[in-house]
Amino acid sequence: MNQMQSADRVPRERWEQEQRSSPVREQPATTVSGRPVKPLYTPDDLPGKGDLTDLGYPGQYPFARGVHATMYRGRLWTMRQFAGFGTPRQTNERFKFLLEKGQTGLSTAFDLPTLMGLDSDNPRAAGEVGRLGVAMDTLDDMLVLFDGINLEQVSVSMTINAPAIVIMAFYLAAAQDRGFDWRKLRGTLQNDTLKEFHAQNEFVFPPEPSVRLVCDVIEFCTRHVPQWNPVSISGYHIREAGSTAAQELAFTLADGFHYVEQCLARGMAVDDFAPRLSFFFNAHNDLFEEVAKYRAARVLWADAMRNRYGAQSEASWKLRCHAQTAGCSLQDKQPELNLVRVAYQALAAVLGGCQSLHTNSMDETLALPSQHAVTLALRTQQVLAYETGVTNTADPLGGSYFVEALTRALQDDARAYFDRIQSAGGMIPAIEAGFFRREIADAAFAFQRDVDARRKLIVGVNAFVEPDEKPLETLIVDGQVEKDQKAALRARRARANSSDVRRCLSELRRAAATSANLVGPLLDAARARASVGEIMDALAEVFGRYEAKTA
Amino acid sequence: MGNQMPARIVLAKVGLDGHDRGVKVVARGLRDAGFHVIYAGLWQSPGAVARAVADEDADWLGLSLLSGAHMTLVPQVLELLRQAGVGDAGLLVGGIVPEDDVTKLLELGVARVFGPGTPIEEIALFLRGRETRRALELGERFRQGDRNALSRLLSLAARGEGQELVAGALASDAAARSASLGPRVIAVTGSGGVGKSTLIGKLIEVIRSAGRSVAVLACDPQSSLTGGALLGDRIRMPSRPDDLALFIRSLATPSGHSGVAPYVDRMIGLFGRFGFDTVIVETVGAGQGDTAMREVADVVIVLVQPETGDDLQWEKAGQLEIADIVVVHKSDLPNAQRVESQLRELLNLPGCRPVPIMPVSSSKGIGVQELWAAALACPGRPAAR
Repeated sequence: MNQMQSADRVPRERWEQEQRSSPVREQPATTVSGRPVKPLYTPDDLPGKGDLTDLGYPGQYPFARGVHATMYRGRLWTMRQFAGFGTPRQTNERFKFLLEKGQTGLSTAFDLPTLMGLDSDNPRAAGEVGRLGVAMDTLDDMLVLFDGINLEQVSVSMTINAPAIVIMAFYLAAAQDRGFDWRKLRGTLQNDTLKEFHAQNEFVFPPEPSVRLVCDVIEFCTRHVPQWNPVSISGYHIREAGSTAAQELAFTLADGFHYVEQCLARGMAVDDFAPRLSFFFNAHNDLFEEVAKYRAARVLWADAMRNRYGAQSEASWKLRCHAQTAGCSLQDKQPELNLVRVAYQALAAVLGGCQSLHTNSMDETLALPSQHAVTLALRTQQVLAYETGVTNTADPLGGSYFVEALTRALQDDARAYFDRIQSAGGMIPAIEAGFFRREIADAAFAFQRDVDARRKLIVGVNAFVEPDEKPLETLIVDGQVEKDQKAALRARRARANSSDVRRCLSELRRAAATSANLVGPLLDAARARASVGEIMDALAEVFGRYEAKTA
Repeated sequence: MGNQMPARIVLAKVGLDGHDRGVKVVARGLRDAGFHVIYAGLWQSPGAVARAVADEDADWLGLSLLSGAHMTLVPQVLELLRQAGVGDAGLLVGGIVPEDDVTKLLELGVARVFGPGTPIEEIALFLRGRETRRALELGERFRQGDRNALSRLLSLAARGEGQELVAGALASDAAARSASLGPRVIAVTGSGGVGKSTLIGKLIEVIRSAGRSVAVLACDPQSSLTGGALLGDRIRMPSRPDDLALFIRSLATPSGHSGVAPYVDRMIGLFGRFGFDTVIVETVGAGQGDTAMREVADVVIVLVQPETGDDLQWEKAGQLEIADIVVVHKSDLPNAQRVESQLRELLNLPGCRPVPIMPVSSSKGIGVQELWAAALACPGRPAAR
């Protein structure tokens, strides 16, 4: 060993000398999160682990190298493109189109009124119906949305949070109506309201009842829909709001810990529900930092689940995650370049060991994605999976001094944040004090300053600008959707038995005031054709509404 | 924002989308660029933002929309701005807006649409450009002799704002021709109660009957506690609403500063460029060594009045150092003679510059004409301005 070190000394000293006297580029060498990067990483950057023998193995605790023993040699990640716009019928057609093109899972986007728990005919919904996702008012809409799709064979993801429990009740009622077995349903409900308070701002109720609803779904699914992921603990939106990689990692895991603690507090056994907790991370531009982030997330989660929460089952220790490329990194200048950005980001997610992936469309900064752009985005994943060879071995970057050092640094940063959240009084007090929003807004501003000062270059934006650009063809959602959806809702209101609806809603309010699980009463309300807005209003009478605090 | 006047801008998210990263970054960035930014927050209705613009007296409204609902919400906002009487506030839209819609929004009256990733600097430049255009209009009106433009520029100069604009007005050719020699600047100072405003009132009459135009800058002290000021000198000066050759402007002097308000030289310059050939600056007696006065004025007139006590106080003596002319005001009062002779002893020592000492009574109308003649005869100082 000593001999080796002395043999290493001469080239090392020469390297140090040469790199010191070499010219350095103008832009500082930092990650996209502003983390300084050294010119070279060596075993010295991994004190105590320099020989890397304790890296571990894929599928083995603490899972730095992945949650499955074979990783993508065994099974590729699920290619899951987020889709939804217009009426349930229009989105149903897009779903069928994507399945035909070889997509292996469905991912549903809801429109803003639905995400905020409003009916399509609410005045606040004007101009927003069916625009950013599919409009959903009653169980009938859910039946149309998945018409002709075998829900026992396709896994379905639904991106919804504040009203997630309502939409889940609609989905379960629809599946039952079509004769599908709940125990065979596979998919994911985002159902993560904590990050709404940090970043995404689609919250309705105050933090505590919001968390209670999340846990009601976890509890119900644990018993009745065992293959379903009842929550997707999401860092994606935190990152989109401008956080650093370390903040995304830390805040997401802290949210996860909070859900675990709340489930434990209601007497659930950790190994009953923990295996179905899933995660959702961003795949941003900085390739190595992103890979390190996924690896660090798995180690931190495994450690906490095993050592802090006492989980015995290995399945409880494994952090499984969906990834999506970073919408916020896409530019409206030279938008075809977004294809390239998305490809590198997808590579980061795959090298980081994600279980499913959404690749963004190149035209997202201009409009809702066109059919052409969506196809290219999916094809990007297929090229990655079938042509690049990155799937042949597990954790191909494991053992890289740089990636290992970054993986450790991110863990350290996350732990420091866990301490800060703790000293702010825990999750809910930290939310109420605006801690997360402030941290994220500071990071977002620092990044924009770097871009404006050209310390960070963005091709087509502050470097290599193209004077004359040809516009892309984009998708146009017509105003007819809003009219159609409102007409449909009116018809349903007329058809629904109003005394049935009233009875279900008052039962719901009564249950909400106790600690009872609300999925059952919500299934009844769904079947009676109560609308999303009516249900959310009933719950708001009990829970109150939360006012946005700005950072 | 450096040399331009800071504009006020209300920023808000309208509609349901919660993507506030961009608008928050813009808020901070514009703040750092020197704008006054009012962030109204999430989920604002068109009515709420129009109200905010009106109540905040904002120059600009910036709406952030990433939901695609812009064609529904923006026309509503424009209409409500008009209804609130603030239709002239500039409307900016930020977010994901397709090219065709951008054209439509601009036609509707939106000033500019900024897409994702727009550098803050670009937004700041745009706003500054617009402010500069507003400023250029102001400069043009000033050159054409618009008194309201003069008033506005005086306000800007007094607040230390719009420096480029003021400098531009000062350099304007047309005005320079009509005032090629610059105005005669006369500072009138003295302790409170000595009768400065009253004397200036009389001087105005004399100057106007001599056919000269005159502008007055009346400085009053500003409370160091509240920043407020009651500017009461105007009431002791003649009210001549139809006399366009007379301009009276009140000005608060920050406490702790010398008797002359900051930026007073620029204000004098503005009067000169506008065509006034006489400028009188009334200042509070600021105690000893007020050399600032000598820097801005051709002639410094110090007022004293017959004291009840015996000798002149030391601070009076300090004030006298800056005088080009000393006026024994209220010369009809007893003791005036004695004060006058004391002054002669004090000021006209061998080897010192001779300082005229003139008895004046504003109430009796004695000595004002002579004072004006002396002020004109004074050699004056080609001031630094």
